[in-house]
Amino acid sequence: MSDRAIPIGESIDLTPPQGMAAGWLELLHDWVITVDHKKLGIMYIGYALIFLLVGGLEAMLIRVQLAVSNNHFLSPETYNRMFTMHGTTMVFLMGMPIIIGIANYLVPLMIGARDMAFPRLNAFSFWMTAFGGLLLYYSFIGGVGLYGAGSAPDVGWFAYAPLTEKAFSPGHTTDYWALALIVSGFGTIGAAVNIIATVISMRCKGMTLFRMPLLVWLNLVVASLILVTISPLTAAQIMLEIDRYLGGHFFDTQAGGSAIVWIHFFWIFGHPEVYVLVLPAFAIANEIIPVFSRKAIFGYPAMVAASVGIAFISLGVWAHHMFTVGMTSASNTFFVLSTEIVAIPTGIKIFNWLATIWGGKVRFTTAMLFCIGFLFQFLIAGLTGIMLSVAPWDWQLHNSFFVIAHFHYVLVGAITFCLFAAFYYWYPKVTGRMLDEKLGKWHFWLFVIGFHVTFDFMHIPGLLGMPRQIYTYEPGRGWDSWNMIVSLGGAVQAIAVLVFVFNLVWSYSKGTVAGADPWDAWTLEWATTSPPPVYNFAVEPVVSSRRPLWDLKHPEDPDSRYE
Amino acid sequence: MSNQQEQPNISHQVVHLPAPTAWPVVLAFGLMLVFASLVTNPGIAILGGVLVLFGCIGWFREVLPHEHHEQIAVEVETIPIITARPRIARIQVDETHRARLPLETYSVMSGVKGGIAGGIAMIFPAIIYGLISHHSIWYPINLLGGAGIPNWHYASAADLTAFNWTALLVATAIHGVTSILVGLLYGALLPMLPRHPIVLGGVIAPLLWTGLLHSILGIINPFFAQRINWAWFLASQFAFGIVAGLVVARQGRVRTAQYLSFAERIGLETPGLMHERPQDEER
Repeated sequence: MSDRAIPIGESIDLTPPQGMAAGWLELLHDWVITVDHKKLGIMYIGYALIFLLVGGLEAMLIRVQLAVSNNHFLSPETYNRMFTMHGTTMVFLMGMPIIIGIANYLVPLMIGARDMAFPRLNAFSFWMTAFGGLLLYYSFIGGVGLYGAGSAPDVGWFAYAPLTEKAFSPGHTTDYWALALIVSGFGTIGAAVNIIATVISMRCKGMTLFRMPLLVWLNLVVASLILVTISPLTAAQIMLEIDRYLGGHFFDTQAGGSAIVWIHFFWIFGHPEVYVLVLPAFAIANEIIPVFSRKAIFGYPAMVAASVGIAFISLGVWAHHMFTVGMTSASNTFFVLSTEIVAIPTGIKIFNWLATIWGGKVRFTTAMLFCIGFLFQFLIAGLTGIMLSVAPWDWQLHNSFFVIAHFHYVLVGAITFCLFAAFYYWYPKVTGRMLDEKLGKWHFWLFVIGFHVTFDFMHIPGLLGMPRQIYTYEPGRGWDSWNMIVSLGGAVQAIAVLVFVFNLVWSYSKGTVAGADPWDAWTLEWATTSPPPVYNFAVEPVVSSRRPLWDLKHPEDPDSRYE
Repeated sequence: MSNQQEQPNISHQVVHLPAPTAWPVVLAFGLMLVFASLVTNPGIAILGGVLVLFGCIGWFREVLPHEHHEQIAVEVETIPIITARPRIARIQVDETHRARLPLETYSVMSGVKGGIAGGIAMIFPAIIYGLISHHSIWYPINLLGGAGIPNWHYASAADLTAFNWTALLVATAIHGVTSILVGLLYGALLPMLPRHPIVLGGVIAPLLWTGLLHSILGIINPFFAQRINWAWFLASQFAFGIVAGLVVARQGRVRTAQYLSFAERIGLETPGLMHERPQDEER
């Protein structure tokens, strides 16, 4: 069997690889005008990685500021900008682009298509997202804010009213926040439309809905969720701009508006957004865990149903972010119960992943290690989530560092771990080179240690009453030691990320040549060369089971005989 | 895709792909400038508007009247597929492992029936307690239903002995749902209890449950904890456990998945163990 490609449809692609562009300018031109889903996917991912470093740097500045009591490392104004930009960057400029980038790269390959359904819309969506991010960061030099100097937004990533009204946020910093997210939101919606259309209409012969890889299924669910959730945020941001410049009073409490309406709008977007980010992480685990356990995924239909169930339930839980607003008992009860119901489909998923690993011939590659870390950490994140879903508990700990620790357990412990797993798993496909496993193990263990030192101990100052978004604190409240430990853990995580970045750069030129299918995997992207040609597959694949490459490698015992 | 056969196994084909274009980036940049002009300079909006106009026109011309494509020549060799791994390993499983798991269980409906019967049986000791201790059958009902009435924080003894529609409805809902759920649990657990299932399910389990509640109810609901009579509470739990157990035990048993092979139940190597379709069967 050739090392270059696996013979799909009993045909092997002998086309010589296309040469690189002659010069840097030509190369840049190629990438700027491209409509190829793979290049756009790489650009999304590269863009997200840059903002991962930027958002990480902002997090480190926050942690240095909080490491000791009565610290004046940052000014209060800069501190407010840092936590606002950190949250906004990580959710909108890192999290969303990277999951869309991974979907862009993998979905067409996994369904045997040559490109996305709307390649030009794909390019447009990327550039809208990219320019949205640039516009947000231009605020550092272009936004004349509350303090009379160039500054970035400082109203928190959820920008609660009435703080965002003109009276309390003069200058343009809040406008930069709203406008930049509107611009990038158009890109996100375009990408979601494209993913849905691609999955519905571009699947190769034989790939019925229930033969699609779970990554494709989950991205279909996520894209649908994006369409429902981004719209309320965009609408609210346009209403905010009307308030600020056209004399509207939607959120102006002094003129009959309602700040609560903003909170509803924001969290109708904001909570499903958690699932927009975490479902692609599940999707990654769904692909990696079976391959490194050498077993088919356990309970494929249940996994699909659980994913759809999570998306559906996630649309009805937003007000658990609002227990302290003062809702009626009936509303509190409804949102407590609806939130706790999410535990059922997510529990199904965890059991299915464990059942997939159980009895398997597990290979502890770096990608698998990150997935195993994700399983444990997501379970803990879910348990603290259930604690916070109970209204009286939330009344005590709302807006405390306990909440920060909980959602970072989801965003870092689950999502970021799976994203790192994805890098180790698909980097060979994208570049043709393996990421160095030794550096990968260093990255994993440093990151696991740093993560737990940071976020396990972050729960404690929260339980001791430390509120979020405070600039500094008085000594003697029992928070000092915990904050120092948390900040040291953050530094360990930063070192781990630097090891990862070094590995990415070093392996690109020095890594072992990967070949088409270095993991002995089963989905279609591994049938083509690494990196894939611009047309993906010379001959359109025909599949007859969920694991087409298993069928190809085992014609004596194909899955198609049993499915 | 066109085919041009040159050698027996090698064919040259052409793949059509969408042509690269700069118009999406132009349009996106123009739109961003239009939005940015709101916080920078109105002149930026003019530049943005021009770019949006050119971007739209350029994009339309890219796809109308015919979509622009680039053609890529590919070379394909047809080869037969021969597996390099003619054998696959199958896990050998000892059949005795399943001895401790139930081979038969009660149906879901038997649990529901048991829960309903137990729930009805439980009502009588509760009402007798109300009559003897507080001269009112509504006392235990209000005590249970009051937990679901948000504004009934400090009900007096008179409130608890008087008829209250809301408390009755809430108590009925709580009692009904809980009885059915516990009945279901009972139906699922009973086959796993090795000996004396009625004693374990009808006596020991209520004792443990009452002990657990006794230790934590003061934290969960202090108002409820102050007014509960634990001896009567235990009596009503016994009534539920014994009646539900008897009803469940009288129902017919059904086979569990333990009749399937170990490998099938845990999803191991499912292909090869499941029913195999004939090779020529239409899919």
